[in-house]
Amino acid sequence: MSPDTSSFPAVTDTVTQAEIDVYAELSTDFNPLHVDPEAAAASEFGGIIAHGPIALHAFFRAATQWLGTEAAPAGSNIRITYRAPTRPGDRITCRLVEASETEPGHFEVSAECVNQDETVVVSIAATLVAA
Amino acid sequence: MSEARELSNIPYDDLVVDARFGPYDETVTEDLAARLAGPIGAQTPTAFAPPAVYPILFLRALRRAMGGIPAGSILAKQELEFHAELPVGSQVHVTTWVGSKEVKRERPFVTIEFDIRDDSGKQILTGRKIIVWPTGPGEQA
Repeated sequence: MSPDTSSFPAVTDTVTQAEIDVYAELSTDFNPLHVDPEAAAASEFGGIIAHGPIALHAFFRAATQWLGTEAAPAGSNIRITYRAPTRPGDRITCRLVEASETEPGHFEVSAECVNQDETVVVSIAATLVAA
Repeated sequence: MSEARELSNIPYDDLVVDARFGPYDETVTEDLAARLAGPIGAQTPTAFAPPAVYPILFLRALRRAMGGIPAGSILAKQELEFHAELPVGSQVHVTTWVGSKEVKRERPFVTIEFDIRDDSGKQILTGRKIIVWPTGPGEQA
């Protein structure tokens, strides 16, 4: 059964340094910008920033919840634009901008992940296929 | 393939379009999938690889191929195309290469492509990262 375009869940993640450290371990990306407070403070960002996909995580969770699946079904695609850095302590909420069913079971979805200041950190355009 | 260079040491001019790295073997373990299926790091049991696994596999492949994403780079865009669902416990093979490099609006953009296949050779996922490179034409890292 196709999901209801009005029921896309709003998922919120609070990004912590512990999460960033886990992400560094899983990805083997130990860029000092993510894990070294001193080096990050001296950078143009002025402090630690999260790996880019961490800001996207709320969308992944929202999309799979909405589709009722554990994986992204075959035929789905996701196009992401990173717009602003995410920092430890940020509350990232994924919210739907627009969704339409272009053919049975195929959805064109526009979403964004925003932080607690309503700054868009990630924009997403996706084609999601119901399993 | 010779030993991986630090990607941060590779200037824009030295990036070779279409030169393949890999395939690198990775296993999507129960632990990896579970730590990415719900809140990052929490154990959320899952039978299939959640979508968050694939950016992790991209980063691991980049690390093995070139030493990782270069210091000073900016991740601008990312694209993921899902071709088949992947059961947890599967081994996959990740190939990566520079798909294109070009200067737009005076900024050096590099597209790094990824192809992920299972043991049978079935394509599981394709995708790319579009990165603003820290060096441009004629500049040293």
